[in-house]
Amino acid sequence: MADEVPTYSPENFPNTPDEDPFENARKIGKTNLLQWMEITVVEPEKRTTSSMKMQDTFIVYLVETRITDNNIKCSGDGTTSLWRRYNEFELLRSYLESIYPAMVIPPLPEKKASYTWQNSATDKFDAEFIERRRAALEIFLLRVAAHPLLSQDKIFIGFLQKEDGWKDSVYATDFLSKGESRLKALNASFRLKKPDRRFEELKNYGNEIQCNIANILKLRAKLADRQYGIHKVHGNFGRVFCELSGIEKDMVDQLQSAGHYMNVYSEAVDGILEEEEQYSDQLKEYLAFGDSLRAVCRKYECIQYDVEKVEDNLAYKQNQKDMLGKTGGSFSLSGMKKAIFGGDTPEQREQKIKQLDEQIKQTEQELQQVNTDAQKFIDAALRDIDRFKRQKTKDLKEIFTNYAIMQIKTCKKGIAIWTSAKDCFAKM
Amino acid sequence: MMSSENTQFKDPLTSSYNKDIDYGELESLDLDASAKSEISVSRSSSLIANLSGYDDDDVDARDLFIVVDDPERHTGTMDAYVTFRITTKTTRSEFDDSEYQVRRRYNDFLWLRQKLEETYPTHLVPPLPEKHTLRRLDRFSPEFLRVRQTALQKFLFRLADHPVLSFNKDLQIFLTAKAWEFQAHKKQGTGLISRVSDSIHNIGSSYMLKNRNPDFAIMQEYILMFGEKLAVMDRITQRVVKEQTEYLSLLMDWGPIYTLWSNSEDTLTPALQAMSKAVDHWCQALKELVDGTEDNFAQPLKEYTLYTDAIKAVLKRRDVIQAEYDMTVDELNKKKDEREQVKISDQTYSIGAFLGKDPDEVKQQKQDKLEQQIQDLTHQMEALNDKTVCSDTDLKADMERWHKNKHRDMKEIFLSWADRNVKYYEKCLSVWENAVRVIQAKDPGTEPLQLNTQEDQSLLTMQDELSSPIMMKSAECEHSDKQENTKEERTQ
Repeated sequence: MADEVPTYSPENFPNTPDEDPFENARKIGKTNLLQWMEITVVEPEKRTTSSMKMQDTFIVYLVETRITDNNIKCSGDGTTSLWRRYNEFELLRSYLESIYPAMVIPPLPEKKASYTWQNSATDKFDAEFIERRRAALEIFLLRVAAHPLLSQDKIFIGFLQKEDGWKDSVYATDFLSKGESRLKALNASFRLKKPDRRFEELKNYGNEIQCNIANILKLRAKLADRQYGIHKVHGNFGRVFCELSGIEKDMVDQLQSAGHYMNVYSEAVDGILEEEEQYSDQLKEYLAFGDSLRAVCRKYECIQYDVEKVEDNLAYKQNQKDMLGKTGGSFSLSGMKKAIFGGDTPEQREQKIKQLDEQIKQTEQELQQVNTDAQKFIDAALRDIDRFKRQKTKDLKEIFTNYAIMQIKTCKKGIAIWTSAKDCFAKM
Repeated sequence: MMSSENTQFKDPLTSSYNKDIDYGELESLDLDASAKSEISVSRSSSLIANLSGYDDDDVDARDLFIVVDDPERHTGTMDAYVTFRITTKTTRSEFDDSEYQVRRRYNDFLWLRQKLEETYPTHLVPPLPEKHTLRRLDRFSPEFLRVRQTALQKFLFRLADHPVLSFNKDLQIFLTAKAWEFQAHKKQGTGLISRVSDSIHNIGSSYMLKNRNPDFAIMQEYILMFGEKLAVMDRITQRVVKEQTEYLSLLMDWGPIYTLWSNSEDTLTPALQAMSKAVDHWCQALKELVDGTEDNFAQPLKEYTLYTDAIKAVLKRRDVIQAEYDMTVDELNKKKDEREQVKISDQTYSIGAFLGKDPDEVKQQKQDKLEQQIQDLTHQMEALNDKTVCSDTDLKADMERWHKNKHRDMKEIFLSWADRNVKYYEKCLSVWENAVRVIQAKDPGTEPLQLNTQEDQSLLTMQDELSSPIMMKSAECEHSDKQENTKEERTQ
């Protein structure tokens, strides 16, 4: 596939500045990818590879891009396409999470089907499941491409356009070492002395939104099961009406028509519930966003922990200096020590004070640096969180609206079917 | 007793009947409010929606109107029970007054029905509602009483409509007698008849009918199959009600989750509350549907099952009567044959001759005895023939009427059921249309974003572009036209 479609980013990566559309886009002031590029996850395909004794079957997805702004110079026709599998998406996301910890990284669709009801697709080779995953993967790429910072990342661009060697290029960034260990994060969260309230609140919010959405999804699955049952039982009416028409000579046509409409009602539920899966998927994305929020909080806690460590260190050193400066006076343990073991000579004390001064200066510089870094992180994180919140409001309003529209459609269908049945009965 | 104060009763068919009243839509009665007779009569005018569904040409012929309403709870010495008020209006000469009002309880209805069955074994007596229902366990709950009241009303209506049963004396006493008079009358047992009819029952079942009228064979088969279909429909309905009830209880838990979520949100709160409200209204509509299905679809179907049981019993009784007649005919023919035989017989070797009687005398004696028997049997046969013809005619007439009414009732039951479903979806439709409106409404309290830095500007542009491609792609199943999603250029 990749051979047939001409690409503008073949072997060498990156292009020469003239040919690099990303550079060109930046020059004319584009802030994110979606402003001038279209990205689609077009279709899935099943692939099987055999290595040694094992056979591995998996799905790959065709990722295509197309430049939509004519003002951006590039070589070729401005389109690319390549195949990616799910674990490559996972690799991309892990990378982004490590390298941009202040950003709320969009989530991937779930690995395994959750909150399922009796007829939902659960097998990862199920056509329906694959299709829904394809749609969700596309949304993931679009969200990243719409982000002002993430969309400029070379690895992300490579994901979209560079099939060969992309995985190596990811590992070459050594992103794994840049991430924080979970243990450190856990440690940090317990030991923070003055955590920023905003991140505490964000952590709680992340938990709450996950809890609430989980409850909605759990109950929705049960509702789907019931709704399925209700419709299918009405199909039995269809059968008995037909049987009844056999003995009621003067109502034959009407009963048979009514029976037909009962069958229509029974069959309608499949389409209804299939559409409702969308609602479930959309909510699942926001449930997963809860994890992204928590990841930002964890990083904050680690950074704050580092700051506090340096602060503690500085305080300790200053305290030590103070200790050395004291000559007698009130009772102290170090005073006792001096009395028993002998104190420092004035020269020794000079030396120590000088050393401490050096260390204090260093630590102060360190503190300044670490505070600046922390502040940078906090600013960037809060700004992205704000962006996320506004996006979330817009998205969820639309999600709920779509759900309401789905229900409206279902109601209209119900009205049509039962009105037809009513007409049959009226003619009896 | 009642005629002087009975000014509030309105003739159900001459009072303004609104044809737009939904079939089967009844307000709930609570025992306290039913004290005011005015209100309960207007309530019962919707009960009588049934009546106006029938042919209008019957209206003028009717001269006996009965209304059942106003359930009241009483505590007796042994138990608590409910009485219903029964108001009768009539122009018939058999009645002393033109209006009556009495109170009767369910057991009184049972007594009446049993008397009618005993008195008219070959007529169809309409069925009574069941003594207990599985769904409504509280026999004093307003819903249970409302359902029962409707069924009792229908019972009396069908009786009043019957050309023979409506003139029955027991019915008249039921409708008119004061409480103590009625109790006394009930005590007069006529158990003899029921015992006799039982024994006849046994004869009939063992005797194979020779010439059953093909009409009745058809009737029998029809009733059998109809009863089967009713039973099937009853089972399906119970299943539907069960599933819908469970669905409802899940739905009632779903709405509050959105409310709980709205506690964590600020800008999303109106949308979440809109969802929560929509789900709550949905629950209300569904509850009405389920209750309506149970009361006005499941119950009437069950009643018709009871009706078919009653018909089966009457058919059996008719068979018994015919069996009696056939047996008598057989007996008569046998005696006639015997008579011929005795004529040509020689009584020389009979028992009588053996005992010393004159053979000719013996012959004469036998012939006389046979003649008498033949006479008696002939009379009996003629009487039974009349009885058979009568009961056959009665039954045929009743069945014809029953078929017509059944057709009307079935139509009404199914029609109102379909209509209820349409109404349910219409209600839900408006609920969700309203929700869309609320969710999409512009928030009045949002401040315009402070666009201080260039980064903020870019945030704004990015956010606007985000909503259309992402949500539209996920909202449509089919591959939406990608041209829709091209963004306009944003230059700064």
